[in-house]
Amino acid sequence: MYGFHGRLLRIDLTTQSYTWQDIESSRLTAVLGGVGLGASLLYDHAPPGVEPFSADNPLIFTSAPLVGTGLTTTAKYAVVTKSPLTGFIADSLSSSFFALELKRLGVDALVITGAAEQPTYLLITDDGAEFRTASHLTGLSAQETEERIRHAVRTEEEAEVRVAAIGRAGENLVRFATLSNEGRHAGRGGVGAVFGAKRLKAVALRGRCRVAVADTGAVEKIATTLRERSVGPQTAKYREIGTVANLAVFDRLGSLPTYNFQNTPFAQAEALSGESFITNSFSQTHGCAACTIRCERLFRSLNGEAQRLEYETLFALGPLCGIEEPDAVLRAARLCDRYGLDTISTGGTIAWATECADKGLWPELRETGLSFGNAEAILALLPDIAHRQGVGAILAEGSRLAATRIGAEAEGFAMHVKGMELPGYEPRSLKTMALGLAVSPRGACHNRSGAYEADFSGQVDRLQADAGRGALVAASEDFSAVLDSLIVCKFLRKCFDDFYADTAHLMSAVTGWNYTATDLKQVGERINTLKKLFNMREGWRPEDDWLPPRLLTEPLSSGVAQGVSLTPDELRLMIQSYYAARGWNEEGLVREEKKRELGL
Amino acid sequence: MGRPKALLPFDGKPLIAHLVQRLSQRFSDIVVVAAQDQTLPSLPVTLVHDAVAYQGPVGGIYYGLRAIRGTAAFVTSCDVPFLQLPFIDYLVSQLNHHGRDYDVVVPVWQDRLQPLHAVYRRSVVPHLQEQLAAQRLRPVYLYDTVPTRKVSPAEIERFDPEGMSFLNMNTQADYQAALAQWRTLSVPISCTVELFGVARLTARTSRVPLTLSAEATLGDALTVLGVECPALLGSVLSADEAGHASLQSGYTCNINGQDFVRDAHTRLRAGDSLLILSSDAGG
Repeated sequence: MYGFHGRLLRIDLTTQSYTWQDIESSRLTAVLGGVGLGASLLYDHAPPGVEPFSADNPLIFTSAPLVGTGLTTTAKYAVVTKSPLTGFIADSLSSSFFALELKRLGVDALVITGAAEQPTYLLITDDGAEFRTASHLTGLSAQETEERIRHAVRTEEEAEVRVAAIGRAGENLVRFATLSNEGRHAGRGGVGAVFGAKRLKAVALRGRCRVAVADTGAVEKIATTLRERSVGPQTAKYREIGTVANLAVFDRLGSLPTYNFQNTPFAQAEALSGESFITNSFSQTHGCAACTIRCERLFRSLNGEAQRLEYETLFALGPLCGIEEPDAVLRAARLCDRYGLDTISTGGTIAWATECADKGLWPELRETGLSFGNAEAILALLPDIAHRQGVGAILAEGSRLAATRIGAEAEGFAMHVKGMELPGYEPRSLKTMALGLAVSPRGACHNRSGAYEADFSGQVDRLQADAGRGALVAASEDFSAVLDSLIVCKFLRKCFDDFYADTAHLMSAVTGWNYTATDLKQVGERINTLKKLFNMREGWRPEDDWLPPRLLTEPLSSGVAQGVSLTPDELRLMIQSYYAARGWNEEGLVREEKKRELGL
Repeated sequence: MGRPKALLPFDGKPLIAHLVQRLSQRFSDIVVVAAQDQTLPSLPVTLVHDAVAYQGPVGGIYYGLRAIRGTAAFVTSCDVPFLQLPFIDYLVSQLNHHGRDYDVVVPVWQDRLQPLHAVYRRSVVPHLQEQLAAQRLRPVYLYDTVPTRKVSPAEIERFDPEGMSFLNMNTQADYQAALAQWRTLSVPISCTVELFGVARLTARTSRVPLTLSAEATLGDALTVLGVECPALLGSVLSADEAGHASLQSGYTCNINGQDFVRDAHTRLRAGDSLLILSSDAGG
């Protein structure tokens, strides 16, 4: 078999046992790898209605056909489980050497079930899994854990391993805890908390399998073309500044959420702009393994420490919380990375709590001094969340569950979809994105579709809603699903001439199977439908595809989008157009004939 | 108004000479259709006369199209001093729209078709001849007969927000107003370019004030920007052999935080802010 290995390793933490199982080639052709394979395996391996923190909730790592082929930006893996934050599918991506090592294990997936009695880490090789104590690693950050394990294995066994680990937040079941490797994070949906529930501190990998492709010459030719294009003008933003470049643009376009989505723009946007960070505190450029774009930027704090920063982190720990000082954002980002907290959900939950404090809805917050712009008070909350102490114990539940503790008024400004906090795209001034956020299977997500592209390109009137958006969002979701299942980084997406035709050619060359553009388009639709079917099985209701009340009742009050609103009728119209574009019924349920059409 | 409209003094010369000079920036073959006994100043044009008087616009279009050397022509009356060349370019481009060929491209402005600011293929001459023979002197009959592309106000506003193209003169008051308007438009406008991302780092500034001609387009502004910030040429801007600048792939322009624009012919207004940013705005 080329591109794939055709098998998975199933590991049971309860019994400390493992088995290899074949994966049908029909499944691999139908959903590829990455999030597609992860969704498919999750559907089959998760008992219906499983509690996210129960031992039975499977934790699934998947590799993908392009991983290890030498194609730029393809060193990625997916980790899939039932999310403790949303109760629906969580599919997160991370990248770099851990991804390459996963592919070298000679499996397409790891399916980890059960729960260990004591803190444990797994050392997985192509010979099987070893269950090792992680008691000495408890409380360490993911980075420290990674260093300790790598050092131990190197010292004791003279071997190199790659490690993905959780920090304190994951150990304490913070519902938005991350899994991290080499400074990269599988950030959204609380994958790290599922690790914690299984008392699994880390997974260390060492593989020896070589990746074989069917047509080496063809793959190398495509790889050369993509590598050349990846350093052209289409990726200049990522190569020269990184995603932090978004902040100034979003602010100017009335699309930067601030103060818990109470308004936009942000008075101190200039100081927090990516351009200012580059000019004032740039430290280093980093890239994932096998990546020629190298989008990661590290910036220097006042204390001299270098910290990775991306737009979403900058938005969530900056303007969303009213924080104006660049150094405070860097310090907050550093703490989130140290504890293993998803920065978007952390910022979103704190911004919600800050508004509670402003409105006097949560008396216990009074002694924290929490208020918009009070960086020190916000920084002090981060360890409390990670340790689940004081008000942090409630905030660790995420804004949706926390709001249910505080009351109905507080629920009205908890800015989440399906329990996942919104990313830094203002839905009222980005109507296509508003729909994308509302219907996304994993909650408010900017990665599982690029719906904002229609808004930011002039393809549509971004300030107006219409019935054409459903088809745009569905197409964008399908495109993203294929990217995330091949896997190719989305920053490479504009380097293809014709994405589906080009990747069909690529997949044919890698696997030796004959793919067409039509096949791959249908793969995208199949994966998104499969995610929806999983969510339906786990209790999805039509009201889960909706936006927070604030966005549907309060117009924007300043900036270029002043007076712009989004009404419930407009959102309903767009959602219906999305269901129609998907071929689902008016309640958003997948019809039997659609399942048959997609072979589900 | 005391004399033929074509001969009204405008910007120091007869109005017809003013129009011919403007149109000659785009067209090498210009035909002027005069009344039977009308005398005009010497112009670098093909001059033809109505064979039959009082046949209205259909007659003028008919005699003019018969005299052109090419396969299609932009047709205008002689009393419209504010022709917008980018808009005329757009009209010509619409002879083929979404893969379909049209014989006529006619704008609709203020709910009225504008037959004397339209593009016609020479192939409609036989139809016009039939109309003249039947004394059907309204151009709209032609539009019902041949494939006609009607250009909407929204399309027009992209090039000519105030509809200056259609401003004609029928009274002395119209003439005086047009002269006053001309003097206003001769005043340069100020716009600001706001640079984001790579463009800002490359130019080492976030804002560039520009002084532009009153009828400046996006293309004009980018060309001036290239002169003001030469560091942008080659990375953010490309310049052709004539020195006209355009945005490289990977970059886009937004005007005033509202509209994303790509068309170099987009007209600018005084006070506009041009945002130059990455075309990949998310991520």
